[in-house]
Amino acid sequence: MQIKSLDVNRNVVLKDLLLTSVISTFVAIFLTVNKIKGPFIASFIISQCIGLLTCGSILFLHWIIKPKNLTVLILISFLGIVTGVAIGWNAGTFILAEYFSFHIPISDDYFVRTGFLGFTICAVISYFFLLRESLKKSKKEAEEERLKRLSIEKGVLEANLKLLQAQIEPHFLFNTLSNIFSLIDTDKAKSKAMLKDLINYLRTSLSRTRRDLITIGEEIELIKSYLNILEVRMSDRLRYKIELPGDLKEHPFPPMLLQPLVENSVKHGLEPKIEGGEILIRVTEDRDIIRLEVTDTGIQFSPYYDSGVGISNVKERLNLLYGEMGRLILEENKPSGLRAIIEVPKNHA
Amino acid sequence: MHKAIIADDERELRNYLKTMLKEAWPELVICGEAANGNEALELVSLNRPQIAFLDIKMPGLSGMDVAEKIAHICRIVFVTAYDQYAVEAFEKEAVDYLVKPVMKERLEQTISRLKRQLEISDSPVGDISELVGQVIKRLNDKEKAAYLRWIRIQVRDDTGLIPVDDVFYFKAEDKYTLVMTKEGESLIKKSIKELAEELDPDHFWQIHRGSIVNVSKIDKVSRSLTGRGVLKLKGSPELLTVSRNYLHYFKQM
Repeated sequence: MQIKSLDVNRNVVLKDLLLTSVISTFVAIFLTVNKIKGPFIASFIISQCIGLLTCGSILFLHWIIKPKNLTVLILISFLGIVTGVAIGWNAGTFILAEYFSFHIPISDDYFVRTGFLGFTICAVISYFFLLRESLKKSKKEAEEERLKRLSIEKGVLEANLKLLQAQIEPHFLFNTLSNIFSLIDTDKAKSKAMLKDLINYLRTSLSRTRRDLITIGEEIELIKSYLNILEVRMSDRLRYKIELPGDLKEHPFPPMLLQPLVENSVKHGLEPKIEGGEILIRVTEDRDIIRLEVTDTGIQFSPYYDSGVGISNVKERLNLLYGEMGRLILEENKPSGLRAIIEVPKNHA
Repeated sequence: MHKAIIADDERELRNYLKTMLKEAWPELVICGEAANGNEALELVSLNRPQIAFLDIKMPGLSGMDVAEKIAHICRIVFVTAYDQYAVEAFEKEAVDYLVKPVMKERLEQTISRLKRQLEISDSPVGDISELVGQVIKRLNDKEKAAYLRWIRIQVRDDTGLIPVDDVFYFKAEDKYTLVMTKEGESLIKKSIKELAEELDPDHFWQIHRGSIVNVSKIDKVSRSLTGRGVLKLKGSPELLTVSRNYLHYFKQM
């Protein structure tokens, strides 16, 4: 059986020794009242010595051995009690003889009885001490568990809020509207197509966040609308390709998790590059993992660039949704640009 | 006769502004169009226009970069989709600031403002252009104050990237520097000294000659018996030592 080892620090030591002393005093009173031993002072000194030494040796053994299972714990307690009773008894009789000129009558029977009594009392008391500590510890753990859960819940709420805030970039919206505004006069068909894509993009990105899961196909459709708009705006500077196997289209996927990576590629990779470049989105499966890759041939990656909240939001949400199983990997693309990879478990409740 | 250039990376928006200007200011000659900052700069030195309409976010040199270089040659009108910059700075007569999509009434205001200025002098007046240059430079610097945000690590043949926010600490290890994250440790060639200069000093503190810690990952600080500091990190069992020379960071805690 696994057990938690006791934290031995100054507070624990002082508290336990004080409590032991109090209990030892009660034992001495009990013994005197029941006339089991000689005068009160003799019982008092001896029970104090045995009690404190037992308590001390058990704590000391805990401190150096740090028991991790029950057998070791029992052994330690046994050893501590035997040591405590043996040394305590001798120390007690010595103190009594030296300072109080009180000599305990020496008889085998008396010695055995006292030892046995001391041992039993110490064992019972040690048991309660350990019980108290483990109770305290499990209480503390329960509290920590609760705090951890609370902070996860808070994290989920925050991530959702950030998601709502981050989804429409004002630059994107106003530039797109300006394009449509201009195209209305010069190329009506094109302006209509662009408006359609914008409506698609806004509708899906605004409403989907209220649903927990959409399909990979739906997320890709949203990305297509987004990229179609940019294709018109950036004219020949942006090209894109999407590789999505048919059987993964219907696979459930959190909304707006892949899109920020595409947006990041456009904003930090292709828009700043004079000649523009390509974006390749590829979804693959490898046994029980789904990989979603966004690769761009944008500008040479700079370790100084600030990706804003986009990338860290994706990371946070992956962590909240999938724990250790969800990963975001960033790599430099060769010869230039960036590759962002999301890995999620295929079958996730 | 006055000349102007238009710089915007989106063709449709250049066309649109050109049409609008043709209607509202027929005498103005658009002597060139640029799709990026570098082209804009070339056009200005080639054609010497009195006015430059500049988009701020452009590939290559940004509109701000270009403005910094040509503020003494021509009047600048920024045209941008969304103002994250201090608009007030430009509302002084010197430069103008248009928000996309450009509306007719607003453009007419800009035009009459430009006409008024051009009547006084063809090129920007000395001290004003200097002032404009300064404002632009300040805004530009603010944009560029960049710290190291990514750590490049070698993963087999690929170069992996770790956001610095994910790093617990950096530690010197022979010729290399060890980077510790939740996922594990990696070695990089950049030295602690270089890192200390390149990382944001508000978020990364050097705590020892050979180590730098991510402040947001610090859980607890305590004093060791020898008077040095001991850091406990969030989510990592490891303890870091703060040498006496760097203890001042923790004094106020």
